[in-house]
Amino acid sequence: MAKQSPAQRLFTLTCCLLAAPRLGLSKQDIFDSVQAYAESSSDAREKMFERDKTSLREMGVALEVIEIEAFDDARSHRYLISKGSFDWPMDLSLSATQLQLLELAARAWNNRLMSPSAQSGLTRLKALGVVPSNRELAIFTPRLIAKHQSFEPLAIAISEQQQVRFSYRKPDAEAQARQLDPQKLRFIEGQWVLLAIENNELKNFLLRRIVSEVKPTGESAKQASAAEISAAEADLTGFIESQEAVLELQPESEAWWHFGAPDSAQIKIHFMDEALLAEDLMEFGGEIRVLSPESLAARIESGLKKVVSDHA
Amino acid sequence: MPKQELDGEELFNLALSIVGLILKEGPHQVDELVEHFGYSEKTIRRAVSTIANSEDVGNFKTHFYLDDDLLESGEVDFSSAGSVLTAPPVLSKRQATSLAAGLDYLASLPQFANNPELTKIREAIGGATSAVHSRAKPSREAALLEQLQQAVLGEVAIECDYVNQLGERATRRIDPLRIDFVLDKHYLRGFCHKNQAVRSFRLDRILNCSITADPISADSKAAEIPEEVFGTLAQEISVKISADPEAAEIFWNFPSYSEIVIRDGKLTGEIMVGSLKALGRHITRYGGLVRVLEPEAAVIAVRNFAKAALKPQLTPSNED
Repeated sequence: MAKQSPAQRLFTLTCCLLAAPRLGLSKQDIFDSVQAYAESSSDAREKMFERDKTSLREMGVALEVIEIEAFDDARSHRYLISKGSFDWPMDLSLSATQLQLLELAARAWNNRLMSPSAQSGLTRLKALGVVPSNRELAIFTPRLIAKHQSFEPLAIAISEQQQVRFSYRKPDAEAQARQLDPQKLRFIEGQWVLLAIENNELKNFLLRRIVSEVKPTGESAKQASAAEISAAEADLTGFIESQEAVLELQPESEAWWHFGAPDSAQIKIHFMDEALLAEDLMEFGGEIRVLSPESLAARIESGLKKVVSDHA
Repeated sequence: MPKQELDGEELFNLALSIVGLILKEGPHQVDELVEHFGYSEKTIRRAVSTIANSEDVGNFKTHFYLDDDLLESGEVDFSSAGSVLTAPPVLSKRQATSLAAGLDYLASLPQFANNPELTKIREAIGGATSAVHSRAKPSREAALLEQLQQAVLGEVAIECDYVNQLGERATRRIDPLRIDFVLDKHYLRGFCHKNQAVRSFRLDRILNCSITADPISADSKAAEIPEEVFGTLAQEISVKISADPEAAEIFWNFPSYSEIVIRDGKLTGEIMVGSLKALGRHITRYGGLVRVLEPEAAVIAVRNFAKAALKPQLTPSNED
């Protein structure tokens, strides 16, 4: 019999664990059942098994270890897979359009950590069934770029439910040390935003304002419920809708075209963060005048003056 | 279609998914699996062999019986020999997170706003119930996207006015190939008849677009579309800049071949720009977080842009 590949080893291990009796399998049972372990030296199979347990858990297989004293010492640690990790919602199916949207979502990632995860998740969802292909969306190529140094450590911390610390600098303020429980990364208005629990409150942090390395504290992160996360996301949307700026655009200018060539020279827009909006507006130079809020107009004027003095 | 060889974990994942699909739907042609999963025939066959070689050697138990004769003729079928495995595991947290973030991103784009299929799949994958805010991008962009989608699918040329980054407006004829959305901007990637090359066109700078009846050329169809939207500059000027960490993105918005050095809390390096006149706006937008160090001509260009921006060009609304 040919030597088993790593994929064959993981697959056989999964099948054996799923077929295990209610009391699970001992390590020796597993070593006897999986060909790659059975044919390896004691040291090699121990190392392989450790790696494989990590791989299975990273792939979302809930591998559990229980201790049953009724067995002798060598067999008292029992391994089993929680059946729940293979239970898909009964009514889950994908339409051709939904599959195409998932393809786009997976393809959008341009990040060495998230792109493979999205692709493997998509492969797993494709087990739900073959659907006719839909070419209409194939012409779009959205690309999610996540080059912030903080992105990967935060994505890993979220996945591993680890608390993190970093230094965070708000506009017009000194950097502050923050310690928090990361929950979710979102891309909003061209910016990556971290949703995290700090002092028992869900808050949003812009990745661009993280000015130090992100380090795990070694503590486990508290987990917000799906309902709490949804409520926090809805709060942010509500906050954005409540923030309004009134702008006057120079007709036929690039700014005017950018904002959709409106019938009136005056437009209202909503925004998440005043400093970020100021950046977007400063790019248009004198083609835009801010009518309100005054703080935005003052921020732009001060920013432009700083650029002039820095380049004097 | 990703043709690359998969590592052990990815191949294991594909094998689990093929098990789920075949046990649910019955036999499938290898070609269908290639098309559906987007992997090469060789990779699909390796995944199938993973399923077939899963015997419990200690208990002499086979988990799946593969029909080798059928596989020889290009069809994949197997039956469960008492295996409990009938579907892949549900999505891992990282898989679900990365797909949910990608779907959230799509939901923020005007062409997918209020798309009911997207809403359903966001709920199913990420549990998302809230709408995704997108800054009031007006209907002009949505209408233009629809027009361009029609032209790309119909494989016909468009005619439009285009305002380049220097503010120069000219009529262009473009064979549209693809629409990219990078960060928060849409770009049409197409063969420009004026430049005789594939170029990127920002959608908010495309004016008066009309679809022609002229099919796009075979050369355009075969043209390679560069990965980066900024493409290759005809004349590149190296500009040394220093940026606060909050404005680090400037280094990935421009081609940069230099090392980025962190000194005194600032990032210093060089970016390549096509025009100093256009540089002014890109530096000024950071309101002092980015500073041009050299050449002097670039320093002057930025200063001039910011100075001009401080002078109101708009007519005060209360003027007669």
